[in-house]
Amino acid sequence: MIDIRALEFAYPDSGFRLDIPSFALRDGEKLAVIGPSGSGKTTLLNLVSGIIRPQRGEVRVAGTDIGTLSDAHRRAFRIRNVGFVFQDFELLDYLDVLDNILHPYRITGALRLDRTVRARARQLADDLGVGDKLARHPSHLSQGERQRVAICRALLPQPRLLLADEATGNLDPHNKGRILDLLFNSVDARGATLLAVTHDHELLARFERVVDFADFQSDFRAEVRADARADIRADSPADSERPPAT
Amino acid sequence: MQPIKRPLPRAAIAALILLLSAAAVSAQDRLRIYTVNYPLAYFAERIAGDLAEVTFPAPGDVDPAFWMPDAETIAAYQAADLILLNGADYEKWTGKVSLPRSRLVDTSRAFRDAYIREAGGITHSHGPGGEHDHGGLAFTTWLDLSQAAQQAEAIAQALIRKSPDAKEEIERNLHALRDDLLALDERIAEITRTDPGRPLLASHPVYQYLARRYGLNLISVMWEPEELPNEGQWNALEGILEDHPARWMLWEGEPGQATATRLRALGIDSLVLDPCANRPAKGDFLTVMTENARNLDRIFGKGAGER
Amino acid sequence: MIDSLYVAWRYLRYHWGRSLTLVVCVTLIAVLPLALELLLDESKRQLLARAETTPLVVGAKGSSLDLVMNSLYFGDSVPEPISMAAVDRIADTDLALPVPLYVRFKARGLPIVGTNLDYFDFRGLKIQAGRNLALLGECVLGARAAEALGLGPGDALLSSPETLFDLAGVYPMKMRVVGVLAPTQSADDLAVFVDLKTAWVIQGLVHGHQDLGAVTDPTLVMERTDGNLTATAKLVQYTEITPENINSFHLHGSPADYPITAILALPHDKKSAALLRGRYVAAGDQGEPQQILVPADVIAGLLASIFRIKSVLDAVILVVGTATVLALVLVLALSLRLRAGEIATIFKLGCSRATIARLLGAEIAIILAAAALLTGLLLAVVGHHDEALVRALFIR
Repeated sequence: MIDIRALEFAYPDSGFRLDIPSFALRDGEKLAVIGPSGSGKTTLLNLVSGIIRPQRGEVRVAGTDIGTLSDAHRRAFRIRNVGFVFQDFELLDYLDVLDNILHPYRITGALRLDRTVRARARQLADDLGVGDKLARHPSHLSQGERQRVAICRALLPQPRLLLADEATGNLDPHNKGRILDLLFNSVDARGATLLAVTHDHELLARFERVVDFADFQSDFRAEVRADARADIRADSPADSERPPAT
Repeated sequence: MQPIKRPLPRAAIAALILLLSAAAVSAQDRLRIYTVNYPLAYFAERIAGDLAEVTFPAPGDVDPAFWMPDAETIAAYQAADLILLNGADYEKWTGKVSLPRSRLVDTSRAFRDAYIREAGGITHSHGPGGEHDHGGLAFTTWLDLSQAAQQAEAIAQALIRKSPDAKEEIERNLHALRDDLLALDERIAEITRTDPGRPLLASHPVYQYLARRYGLNLISVMWEPEELPNEGQWNALEGILEDHPARWMLWEGEPGQATATRLRALGIDSLVLDPCANRPAKGDFLTVMTENARNLDRIFGKGAGER
Repeated sequence: MIDSLYVAWRYLRYHWGRSLTLVVCVTLIAVLPLALELLLDESKRQLLARAETTPLVVGAKGSSLDLVMNSLYFGDSVPEPISMAAVDRIADTDLALPVPLYVRFKARGLPIVGTNLDYFDFRGLKIQAGRNLALLGECVLGARAAEALGLGPGDALLSSPETLFDLAGVYPMKMRVVGVLAPTQSADDLAVFVDLKTAWVIQGLVHGHQDLGAVTDPTLVMERTDGNLTATAKLVQYTEITPENINSFHLHGSPADYPITAILALPHDKKSAALLRGRYVAAGDQGEPQQILVPADVIAGLLASIFRIKSVLDAVILVVGTATVLALVLVLALSLRLRAGEIATIFKLGCSRATIARLLGAEIAIILAAAALLTGLLLAVVGHHDEALVRALFIR
């Protein structure tokens, strides 16, 4: 699903740099990326989803080198193929649940909103347990319910890749597990791939693979727990606080 | 094939109808003139002829100078095309009524500088230096027939302004009337010229203009034809007679028998000189004035007071 | 586009307070100058209409505006009076019909217009209820005056005292309402019409009281001479004219001396008008105390001044409007900043900057459209009722 090679990226106005010699994610895999804040996890998501472009290197998603696409095409690609689930849910408070779920279809010409889509949205909502709250506004939902709505929104365009950025970060322990289960089930049911960034070490066991950004400094190689290999090197101000690994 | 209908008879009928209605309309288009006394009505009738409908609505038994018309009559005055006023404060009721100034005609305005102010009479005032009354004006202006002629002229001018097309006819009528009035004026002057200083009495102060015009030596008392004067009034009369030995007293109407008799006892004969403010039962203004002239002749002519 | 409008609509509806405020602000900025324009145009039309139908006004020398406002619109400022002799003067020239006016007193806040029946003919005033003036002491009400006072034929109306504490001043007189006029959409609607003589009764120049000759109370008579009785101030003067006392009403002095505030001179034709004006102007060089005015000229001058003021008003509105627009822009900019998170979210989801601009533009468009609709409605209402509004707000 994802294939990154010789990637070099730096934000123009900060000292942050990301170098990824290679990184890959199989179709249908569920990968967790952990690491301290500032280590570049969110940057990775942004690169994978095409929000930002690397200065050098290749980012292939579902076979397409998204770095070569124009802005418009990248956006279209993103909205069709990538689903986002955010830590802060990032629902629109002025839309009700149904409109929030349908929202991606209203903000781009790449998706067409029709009756089948609406039916699918309702089904999704039912599946994720918020089908009876379609007319409510996010301010009248619990944390867990809001995240479910966010997941519905992410899944509605039937993306092949689901990116979860600290998806359970704002949930209580009871809901964390449930949401993660929901995510996993949805991903499995649709044959999609999941790339999740998380702080939460308790949940790592559920993932097939975990990549730890903390282990990566400018001249260290990556340590992985599972059998897949990934070389990721990060230069960041936070790294200077950690003791050099031996 | 249908016979062609002749259009001519129809056109003729239409024309006839038009003509008749025009005649009817013009008849209704006569000016409406209202006057405040009979002499003005007479003058207006003579001058206007068919041009106007002249109305003097006061009842015959009320002195028009002290008459107050009712609301309906006031409305009729308001609706008139011309309202002929006598002037010299004659028509006191108009001071308490709303009339359209544009249609008022003050017929004696031309000689307003010659109005006679009444001497005597009680005036009143308010506070020291407050507003005060002057005496009233004498108002029987038409008894001076030269003034009557001027009043007639004023009427004619007002009529000409309203109906300029009829100017010739109006002027013709005016001249005829003036001739009549001035002839009578001359006749009365002739009569009274024979004895200018002859002392005369009047039962009521209504002959001021007559006296002035025809040089009458006239003193008035304030008697009413129907009332018998009281002793005070008789005494006052006798006082007057001492310096003013009159042999005749002029009355507006026939005096009461008792009064006449008592006057006769004082050597005074009674004579009616009708001011003709109201419409006479018989005759018209000229016939009444002519009768007045004849009565004056009795005083000044043969049988001139010596008995 | 539909989607953008839908989303924009949901946003505005959710924040309905803010949206309403914005709509109201924009509407106000738009409506105020336009409505003002409408009303001022109508004022101009009304003022001029009345002035144009009145050929000439004669009055005392002094403020021409006061004279015109008092005689045409029965304004509060009472000009110096002239006397009835001025009426005779015009009548004698035979160039114009003089219609005297005495507009000085008030009855329950409404102007009492003393005049004669010629005024009604001139202004084309028709009686709608009751009848026109006939006797001393009667009054006829304009259509709106009757409504405001709640009076009709048969009712009584008291004139207002001129000064509360002036013991020698004008006392209230009880007038009889005999008629109500049909509406004319002019100052005549709000007037109380009386005969000139009745106005003089109100002033006390014409009065009635018991016959002094028949008085028995010695304290009523100050001095008695052969020809004159002087009454004391104790003598009560009638404050109401009834059929019983009407004959006792009289005036002291000569009618030609009695006061009026203005004369409407109605010339027979243009030439007569010019001749009449010429006479006053010529006399003006010799210390003539009266002036003759063409109301249309005076009002045109007034309007020119008003419209100069309007230009200043327009400038003020422009500045205020600009400030409001800037404030609105600031509000929008701030709310944009507050929505930075939302914008970042949809951008991440795949929304282009153009679409974001379209979404925000749709919100502005809806607000502007709503404001335009509201503006249109308000202007339609103002336009429909412009006559009545002008009469209520500017010209009484």
